[in-house]
Amino acid sequence: MTRTIPIIIVLTFAAILTIVLCTLTGPAGFGFPSSGPGAADIVGSIRLPRVLAAFFVGASLAVAGAAMQALFRNPMADPYILGTSSGGALGASVAIIFLGGLFVPVFAWAGAVIAIVIVWSIAGRKGVISVETLLLTGIAVSFFFSAIVSFLIAIAGENVHQIIFWLMGGFWNASASDAILSACILVPAGLLLFFMGRDLNALSLGEETAAHLGIDAARARWSVLGASTLLVAGAVSIAGSIGFVGLVTPHIVRMLLGPDNRVVIPACILAGGILLVVSDTITRTFFSDLPVGIITAFIGAPFFIWLIHKRGETL
Amino acid sequence: MTGQYSINAEDLHAGYGTQDIVKSISCSFAPGTFIGIIGPNGSGKTTLLKAFSRVIPASGILELDGKAVSDFTPAELGMALGFVPQDEGRPFSYTVLQVVLMARYARTSRFAALTPDDYARCHRALDETGVAHLADRSIRTLSGGEWQRVLIARALAQDTNVLLLDEPTSHLDLAHQSDILTLLRDLAASGATIIGVFHDLNLAALYCDRLIMIKNGQMVADGTPDTVLTPEKIREVYSAEVVTSCHPATGRTFLMPVKAINGNVLPLKSLNVQVISGGGSGSGLLHFLTGRGLSVSAGILATTDTDYITAKVLELACIPVLPFSRIPVYALEKLKAMLAQADRVVLSVHPIGAGNLPVLLALCDMDPARIIIHLPEGREFASYDFTKGTAAAACQGLCAAGAPCTSTYDGILRLLSPNFNGDENHETRNTN
Repeated sequence: MTRTIPIIIVLTFAAILTIVLCTLTGPAGFGFPSSGPGAADIVGSIRLPRVLAAFFVGASLAVAGAAMQALFRNPMADPYILGTSSGGALGASVAIIFLGGLFVPVFAWAGAVIAIVIVWSIAGRKGVISVETLLLTGIAVSFFFSAIVSFLIAIAGENVHQIIFWLMGGFWNASASDAILSACILVPAGLLLFFMGRDLNALSLGEETAAHLGIDAARARWSVLGASTLLVAGAVSIAGSIGFVGLVTPHIVRMLLGPDNRVVIPACILAGGILLVVSDTITRTFFSDLPVGIITAFIGAPFFIWLIHKRGETL
Repeated sequence: MTGQYSINAEDLHAGYGTQDIVKSISCSFAPGTFIGIIGPNGSGKTTLLKAFSRVIPASGILELDGKAVSDFTPAELGMALGFVPQDEGRPFSYTVLQVVLMARYARTSRFAALTPDDYARCHRALDETGVAHLADRSIRTLSGGEWQRVLIARALAQDTNVLLLDEPTSHLDLAHQSDILTLLRDLAASGATIIGVFHDLNLAALYCDRLIMIKNGQMVADGTPDTVLTPEKIREVYSAEVVTSCHPATGRTFLMPVKAINGNVLPLKSLNVQVISGGGSGSGLLHFLTGRGLSVSAGILATTDTDYITAKVLELACIPVLPFSRIPVYALEKLKAMLAQADRVVLSVHPIGAGNLPVLLALCDMDPARIIIHLPEGREFASYDFTKGTAAAACQGLCAAGAPCTSTYDGILRLLSPNFNGDENHETRNTN
C-alpha cells in the first residue's frame, strides 16, 4: 500500500511523457518538423489523434482485462474471452467484403456487442448463471464466430489482405473522432470499474463470498461485464483485435502493486495506454506500420517472461 | 413472536436448479446459542447453511432478527450475517490482511477509505484466530489450516450477530480445533448466534448447545447433544454403530464407533463361541467374531480390563470380577457352566499368573477338541507364563491332547467351520 501512490504518480507522469514524446516521433523524424507546409498537420491531425487513440484503446483493453480476470477468478482470462474479438472480426469482415470497407468500425462494434449478448443470453437461460458457464459459452461462441470469419476469408478473394490486417490490429486509420469516441467510452466505464474496485476484489474470491461480504454480486457482475463489453467493443471497432495488452498489462501491474483492484484498475488504465502507445510508435516509426499486435507481443512477451522469472509465482 | 429469534425458518426448501436438496425444514435459533448441524455426506447441511445466507435460492419463510431476509439489502445482510466457507479459491496473491479487510466493505462507502477502526478490528480478528503473524503473507502461500483461520477471522471482522460456518475445523489440527471452537463458544456466550456444520460428532457434542441432525434434506432430530446423539439415531441416520459414553474430562456426550451395520455375516450364526482372554488380548478377537455374526461370550474379566470394556460395548455376556484379586469361587462355577454350554471355546493366550490360573485349569478338564488356541505369531506359551511353568505346561498339554492352535483370526474361523474356506480379502482387511 505504501508504494502505491508513488507508483501511480510515476505512471501518470510516464503516461503524459509517453504521449508527448510519441507525438513528436515518427518516420518523419523526432521533434516538431521545423518547416514545411505539412509540418503542423503531421503532428496535429495525424500523430496526435493516433497516439491518443492508441492510449485510450490500450487503457480500455488493460482495464477490461483486469476486470475480467477478477470476475472470472482466472488470471488467464483476457478481455476477448467472451467473444468480443471474434464478434468484432465477423462484423468487420462482413463490412469489408459486402460493403467494400464502408462502416468497418460500426460493424465491428456491433459484431462485438452482438457476440456478448448471444453469450449472455445462452449462458443465462436457466436463471442462475455461473461465471464458469459464461466462460465456456464465450469460448464456444468465439470458436463459432471464428469459423465464420475463416469461411469469409476463404471466399473473400482480393479482400483477404484487408481482413487479415484488420484481424492483426492497428491504428492506420485512427482519426480524431476515434480518439474522442474511445475517450467517451473509457472515462465513464473506467470510472465505474475504478469505483467497483472492492466489488472486484470480493468477486475475485467467488460470487458467494462477495455476497457474504455484503456485495450485490449479481449487480456487480452485470456492471463489470457491461462496462468491459463497451470498452472492448470500442477498442475492437477502432483498432481491430490487438492481443496481449489486455492479458498481460494486469499481470504486470499486479506484480508491481499487488492484486488490490482499487489500485490495479487505475494503474492498468495508465500502463495499458503507455504500452500500446509505445508499441504503436515503434511500429509506425521503425517497421513501416506493421500491425501493432505483432509489436505488443514481440516486446511484451519477453518482458513478461522476465517478470515471471524475477517475481516467482505472484499473480 | 419471532422477534426473539436470530434466525427463524419455516418450511424452508432450497436446492440447485429444480431439485430440492433441503426439504421443508423449520427451525428457530435464539441468540446466544451455538448450534451444530450434523448429518451424513450429501444430506444437505451446506445447502441449508447457504439457504440461511441467501446465496442459494430458497422458498418458505426465512427471517433474520425478526425481519424477512428478502427485505435486507446485500450490505445489510453483510452486516447481519457472516459466513465461513469450507474452502475458497485463491487465484490472486492478496495479503491476509487485504482479504480480512474485505469484511469491512459492507460497513463503509465505496467512495471512502477504510478507517483506522476497521484496521484495528481486522487485526483483532487475526489475533483471535491466531494468524496475526501472517497478516502480510500472500494468501497463496498459506496452508489449508492457516487459510481456514483467515476465513474465520474475516467473518469475525464482519461483526455480525449471526455467524454461519461450514465445517470450520475440517483443516485444523487438534490444538487449533479447540482454540477456534472455544472462541466460537465464547462468542455465543456473549450473545451471538453461531451455526456450524460439523462432521466430527464428538467435537459438535463437546461445544454445541444444540444439534440439528438432517438426513436427505430433512430434519430428523433437534435438541441438546445428549438427546440427539443416541446410538439409535446414529444408526438410523448414519447407518453406523456407536456406543455413547460420558466424556471423562468434560461430562459431555461422547461417541465411540463400533462397527458398520452391514458387516459380513458368515453362515456360522448358530455357533456359540466362548472366548477366554485377558489383559486386552481378546478385544480385537471379540470384535472380529461378533462382527461375523457369531454368538460370542467373554469369560471372567476384571472390570479394569480392556477386554471387559469391549465385552460391555458389544453387549456380550461375561463374568466381571474385581481387579487385582483372586477369582471368586462363584465366578469360576459360572464360567464352568458357560464352558459347558459353548459349542467351541477360543483361548486367546494372555498373561497367566496365580490369580487367573484356575481358569486355564478349568479348560484342561474339557474335551480338547472343543478348544481352539489362539497364540500370536512368533510368541511362545512360556512368554505368557507367570506361574513358573505350570501355565505353559497346561497349554502345551492342551495342544498335545489335540486342541488346535492358530496364530490368525482367519485360522480361528477355519477351525470353527471346517467347511469355511476363508475369504482372504476380507480376512486381511478385518484382522489388519
